[in-house]
Amino acid sequence: MRLWPAILLLLGLTGLLLAAEPDGVMTLSIPKDVHHPLPGKVDHIWSGVIVATNPENPKEPPPELREFAPRLKRVFGYNQFELAGSATQAIDELTENWLVPSPIFPLSVRARRTTSKEARGGYLLNLQLFQEKRPLVDTEVKLAPGSPLFIRGPQYGKGQVIIVLQVQH
Amino acid sequence: MKPFEEQFTAWVDGKLTGPELAEFEKQLAEHPEAAAEKEGALKLGKLLREHPTVPPLGNPDFFNHQLMQRIAAETPRPVEKKRAFFWSLPRLAWAGAACLAITLVLFQTTIPGGVKHIDKSNYFAQVVENWPGNPNVSASTVYSPDDNVTVVWLDGLDYIPATYALNK
Repeated sequence: MRLWPAILLLLGLTGLLLAAEPDGVMTLSIPKDVHHPLPGKVDHIWSGVIVATNPENPKEPPPELREFAPRLKRVFGYNQFELAGSATQAIDELTENWLVPSPIFPLSVRARRTTSKEARGGYLLNLQLFQEKRPLVDTEVKLAPGSPLFIRGPQYGKGQVIIVLQVQH
Repeated sequence: MKPFEEQFTAWVDGKLTGPELAEFEKQLAEHPEAAAEKEGALKLGKLLREHPTVPPLGNPDFFNHQLMQRIAAETPRPVEKKRAFFWSLPRLAWAGAACLAITLVLFQTTIPGGVKHIDKSNYFAQVVENWPGNPNVSASTVYSPDDNVTVVWLDGLDYIPATYALNK
């Protein structure tokens, strides 16, 4: 029975030796699929203000919304999606970024790159959505590139305002 | 009245006297074969008295104790079934299969989403926290895994009339 601590110690030391590099230096393992931006390449954030309605003869969505339109139909139940305005901004991690897709709905964005594996080089964003000068909501969100976040805004006429936000590499 | 056999024994041993002897000799006349056995019985009695077959025991309790111990030692005991330290191979296989089944059931039932909901697309939008801007507004997160849509759902916002231009 007294041999057990010695055996465990020996096993632990063996594990440490196996984990070490041949020259004795320990290394950290970094997930291989975490995206690292190329030097000099700047990521962007795109935002749009969408007006969703249910007319009898719906129009085709604009090119910017073609990718999202089928999903928006299912989630919000409208059949027409128009872009009231959009804005793109280079992401600056050091300062607050302002996006004004519509003067009615400005967005303040603070971005910090996230090491989360699922975000694939995306960002942790602190968003502040305003309706003119009134703050509507503060949101903290992790966004992978190409994964849009939608914000259901106020009712507009017989439709609905939807704000969309997407990180672009 | 003593039975004939008892009187016969006493007669052989020479212990009958007086009227008992007379009475017995009358009965003996009716059993001539018994009278013929007297000589043999006398010889046997003399032999037994001169050569006692059972020697007197010096320590009868010790003898009994020894005897009982020997009997106990020689009596076959019921064999106890020896317990194996490890399970047999089939038992181990069954135990392994049972553990695997339990693990699969727990994985399917306790892990949120389970295997069937693992999203193989690249969509990832995870809302960490929402703070509504005023007390009349409520904010919640709606995620539709089938559509890969994450929505920050605001309720309690003021209605905007259609005459109001959004991009003025």
